[in-house]
Amino acid sequence: MGPDYDFTDTPVSTGTTIMAVEFDGGVVIGADSRTSSGAYVANRVTDKLTQISDKIYCCRSGSAADTQAIADIVAYSLNYHRNQTNKEPLVWEAASEFRNYCYNYRDSLLAGIIVAGWDEERGGQVYSVPLGGMLTHEACTIGGSGSSFIYGFVREHYREGMPKEECVDFVKKAVQHAIFHDGSSGGVVRIGIITKDGIERRLFYNTESGESTIVGSESFVN
Amino acid sequence: MSILAYNGGCVVAMRGKDCVAIATDHRFGVQAQTISTDFKKVFHIAPRMFLGLTGLQTDILTVRDRLMFRKNIYETKENREMAPKPFSAMLSNFLYEHRFGPYFIEPVVAGLDPKTLKPFICNMDLIGCPNEPDDFVVAGTCAEQLYGMCETLWRPDLEPDQLFEVIAQSMVNAFDRDAMSGWGATVYIIEADKITERSLKTRMD
Amino acid sequence: MYMDSARDVPSGGFNFDNCRRNAALLQGGFKPPTTTKTGTTIVGIIYKDGVILGADTRATEGPIVSDKNCAKIHYLADNIYCCGAGTAADTETTTDLISSQLELHRLNTERQVPVVCANNMLKQMLFRYQGHISAALVLGGVDKYGPHIYCIHPHGSADKLPYATMGSGSLAAMAVFESRWKPDLSEEEGKVLVRDAIASGIFNDLGSGSNVDLCVIRKDSTEYLRNYELANKKGERQLNYSFKKGSTPILHTTIKDLQITERVHVVPMEIS
Repeated sequence: MGPDYDFTDTPVSTGTTIMAVEFDGGVVIGADSRTSSGAYVANRVTDKLTQISDKIYCCRSGSAADTQAIADIVAYSLNYHRNQTNKEPLVWEAASEFRNYCYNYRDSLLAGIIVAGWDEERGGQVYSVPLGGMLTHEACTIGGSGSSFIYGFVREHYREGMPKEECVDFVKKAVQHAIFHDGSSGGVVRIGIITKDGIERRLFYNTESGESTIVGSESFVN
Repeated sequence: MSILAYNGGCVVAMRGKDCVAIATDHRFGVQAQTISTDFKKVFHIAPRMFLGLTGLQTDILTVRDRLMFRKNIYETKENREMAPKPFSAMLSNFLYEHRFGPYFIEPVVAGLDPKTLKPFICNMDLIGCPNEPDDFVVAGTCAEQLYGMCETLWRPDLEPDQLFEVIAQSMVNAFDRDAMSGWGATVYIIEADKITERSLKTRMD
Repeated sequence: MYMDSARDVPSGGFNFDNCRRNAALLQGGFKPPTTTKTGTTIVGIIYKDGVILGADTRATEGPIVSDKNCAKIHYLADNIYCCGAGTAADTETTTDLISSQLELHRLNTERQVPVVCANNMLKQMLFRYQGHISAALVLGGVDKYGPHIYCIHPHGSADKLPYATMGSGSLAAMAVFESRWKPDLSEEEGKVLVRDAIASGIFNDLGSGSNVDLCVIRKDSTEYLRNYELANKKGERQLNYSFKKGSTPILHTTIKDLQITERVHVVPMEIS
């Protein structure tokens, strides 16, 4: 055997925990920050909350290459649409664009995506586009390999009509549980709160308080 | 067994002082059976440039023909002789074109630039990754042995006569430890004013 | 024969003519040949005034070292360089191709191309080939938006990072970065850190070896430090093996004279 461990043949995937919850006036999205390539953590500060338009984001899970490519294509096409029609795209339009790609290329893609955002017509919305390319509207949804560990937690603690801060706390706790139990989820918890004013980002370290323990050093957020 | 070792054979090229040398064995076999002992894997393709090809015999001939075709097109269009450097670039592009269905050959290029007369040697893998060191290049079924021989015998600024002895000894002693190569060898020494071709007396087993 | 050659006028793009034949040969129990790989340690960091890229210089073909001093930091644009790991032919051609596209883009837009542009071109190309082009890249550069490092995987995913490693020595190099990288390093500190990361790849990973190459890209200058450190010098030979002229038995010699005399005839053009 040659000395080279063949890193080029190990696909990079976001063995992930992602989550999104609707509240009155917006949505809360959350994700861990680990990207792994086999047993190696290729990126420990990944941003899986990817911007599609001003107030529409997606949470990516599955193959990093596939989801990045789809997100880029959808962002491009929504931007094009916005310029043509002079209207902000609807969350539903973004979600169905994702659905179209995920369904048409379902045999060659490995992508589970949550689309969430805010629009003038229907306020905060969450859509889920899982592996086969189905599209569903959900008030609260989870995804990625880590999600299987928190189905119970989410079922137990999700209530309809939670206020914003309660949603943030709920998402944070759920993702923290998933990070704890799932080997391919880890790093920090990234949270985004999307309302009519755009996104507010929050970051929670993997510590007791959620704050960084390193003094004077900010994590590389973006 | 690798397809590259199906017919056996080896080529080596070395840089000297204002000269280059390229050597080939003479064996053409099909696995363990020797078919002929006068198959030279080095081709004279320009006044001061040689192309050595080791690997699958059918591909050696095909690649040689296809390259000559492209080289002739180039020389007709440009109305000048092709230098070793652009020739290697062309060879590299040709091989990379077949990245997903390669020719099973490993090429070696040796020559002097027609204008500057600077020595040039180069080898590639089968999909055209170029390697232009300033000492020597090897290819073929006894590449390992050749690396060992050349690494010990080669030294900078060899005069043509010394270069001949070094390349000949490297070649002969390397392929004596390889069952798939040998059965005679030819060494070409390329200098500014002449090309010397020498047939070596070798073991014939 | 001539007809055959005439059909071989290159049309651009890959040629798949040999695929079926090669598949048949492989089915006959032959092993596929080895291509030149750069086992490789390649790294990149952001420091105070820009980025520093680093690479080792070993290329391997299976267990054989096929090149002891190859250059793995490739030029993309004056302000952008890219380290390549994986199949050597792939990294070489991919970076060459993108480099010319970037130059055309620069001439069309009359602006310095941003680093994201190179990143997008590379990841879109690699994604299109679905991982069949084995190029693992560390892309680094400085533009009007600041310094950037991208880590691009062969399947077409890219990560934007402050410090990145790639190749078989990436684990050894990352260990150095994880313990010692911090924001706003000075240029000297940065060079030492990158050198140490590459050295840990060279000495701890079998696929990496020989020398350290560096490339420092600042806001408006670039410095390519080829063989910044010769980490492995060959022991000097005390005497040499010389053969007396005539040591090798020769069957026959042919000498071809190349003294070409050229004569120019001026043929007057016919004017009707």
